[in-house]
Amino acid sequence: MNLSRVYLNPAVLAAMLSLASYPVHAEMAPLGDEALANVSGQGGIYLSGDISINDVGGPIENSYFGRCDESDKKCGARFAYRLREDGGWLVLDEIKGLFAFEGLTLRVRKIDSGFEGDGELFDRDVIELGLPDTVRFTDVQFKLAASSTARPTDPGFMQTDIFAVQMQGDVIMQGNLLVFPDGNP
Amino acid sequence: MACYAGGSATYNRQFRLISVFVFWFALPVFSAAELQTLGEAEMSEIDGAGIGLVFDNFTFSHGTDRPDADGNQSRIFRISGIKSTDGQEVDITVNHLYIAGANTNYGENLTPVNLGRLVNPWRIDVVDGNDIGIANKAVLEFAGPSKIAPTEGFDCMGGSAAAGSGSCSSRPATDSWIGERADIGMQMNVAVGDDRSANLNIHAKSAVIDGSYLRLWGDDQRQQMAGQFKLNFYSPELSINACTQDGATCGSRITMSDFALELAIGNSLQPVYFDVDGNGNFILEVDAIRAPGAGQIAANGLRAGSNAQTWDFYEDYYSNPELRSNLSIGNFSVGDKDFGTARVQGMLIQHLRIQTKDLAP
Repeated sequence: MNLSRVYLNPAVLAAMLSLASYPVHAEMAPLGDEALANVSGQGGIYLSGDISINDVGGPIENSYFGRCDESDKKCGARFAYRLREDGGWLVLDEIKGLFAFEGLTLRVRKIDSGFEGDGELFDRDVIELGLPDTVRFTDVQFKLAASSTARPTDPGFMQTDIFAVQMQGDVIMQGNLLVFPDGNP
Repeated sequence: MACYAGGSATYNRQFRLISVFVFWFALPVFSAAELQTLGEAEMSEIDGAGIGLVFDNFTFSHGTDRPDADGNQSRIFRISGIKSTDGQEVDITVNHLYIAGANTNYGENLTPVNLGRLVNPWRIDVVDGNDIGIANKAVLEFAGPSKIAPTEGFDCMGGSAAAGSGSCSSRPATDSWIGERADIGMQMNVAVGDDRSANLNIHAKSAVIDGSYLRLWGDDQRQQMAGQFKLNFYSPELSINACTQDGATCGSRITMSDFALELAIGNSLQPVYFDVDGNGNFILEVDAIRAPGAGQIAANGLRAGSNAQTWDFYEDYYSNPELRSNLSIGNFSVGDKDFGTARVQGMLIQHLRIQTKDLAP
């Protein structure tokens, strides 16, 4: 949808905003810690889909970066991290590929049993990320490198590629990742 | 939009609209007024709850398939970009990498495993440097499950699944519980140019890394990222063997039983520094220890007659077991020949500098 084609009468917009917000405020009352502790969310989120990173190329097109079908250009994403003031950069370079998955779930789970006795001791809520059994990688690749400048187009650019990784096909990733606060604040 | 021609009703609507926008635009200004930057010393005092991570019923497996009749491969896992000293491309094809439960029979039979315990999980945390010997710094820490008192823990080699048998927190698998120790393995072959080696297999049974961590912070003097890395790796059996590329025949298996590696690179007195030089080469450096300040040690080396502070500094440096690396192998065997026990203990890294070098012409 092209937003520039949507015309709203400012007066109508203002009225909508002001009217919509007042009754909502009137209905809301803060919940105490105790009341909140008794609230138990139901269900969760089930995600399927794919994530594509620079599959056909990134947004930058210049003498170095371009589309993936241009053989003389690089088309992957680049992430550079500087390790010392005025020093060189550690780079994750040419990151591209497609991750497709079905059945990534996200929910809050109360654990008070199981885990060979740990569950009873733990007795808390965790965020459970259900891994999707298999993730299909299509031409996923990245390269670890060390570079003298952040951008390849900067003057004096020199880069040493340390190694590159290429992954393709179904990766088996089963189980749940449980995430929760830990430590003594 | 800002047109004031019209009756008072129109004016009111316009005024209300402007008020809404003024409120929205002013909101961040009010918020910004409340925010103040924290200094390094204040940051180091912050000890918020970190994030605990536990993998529950976890299995990971990936590899490279043989090409079909058309030369297509459904699964590929390849590490490349490395060059040999004579400039040839080195290609490492990972045939199989797995992380799974105990008793996989060298990756043949993958079962789930738990990694980390709810009461002692993997952690990502910002810790107070003053608690770990890094003065006035906020330290980012990635840690495996920590070690616990030997009266409560489990034998790191998995010899016993009874509490009180060792210092590892992760429990070995039993008939009733999948355990928190993973079988980890990798089968790969290495090609240098057109020459492809035999398949190389590395398997670790019931491996546990309790007490391992990576700590990162910024060093003020060098304006550089500094770190401290500790890797504890225990496995009752670590084995390496080579097989033909079709896997039909395999050579003798090199077996290291009761393998224990406790590797310490960098410590609070000598952090490990990470850098990239002007030519784009990665440098990892453990600098020589800084002198503790003026203070003499007596000729006989005893504390009496020495500067007490200096003596204590060196005493701690040379006697602290946390700063030292150890490697111990219960029994080293090749095929059916036993070579007995091997042990390297108390290695202290006093200076280390590793620099990558580009061999590309």
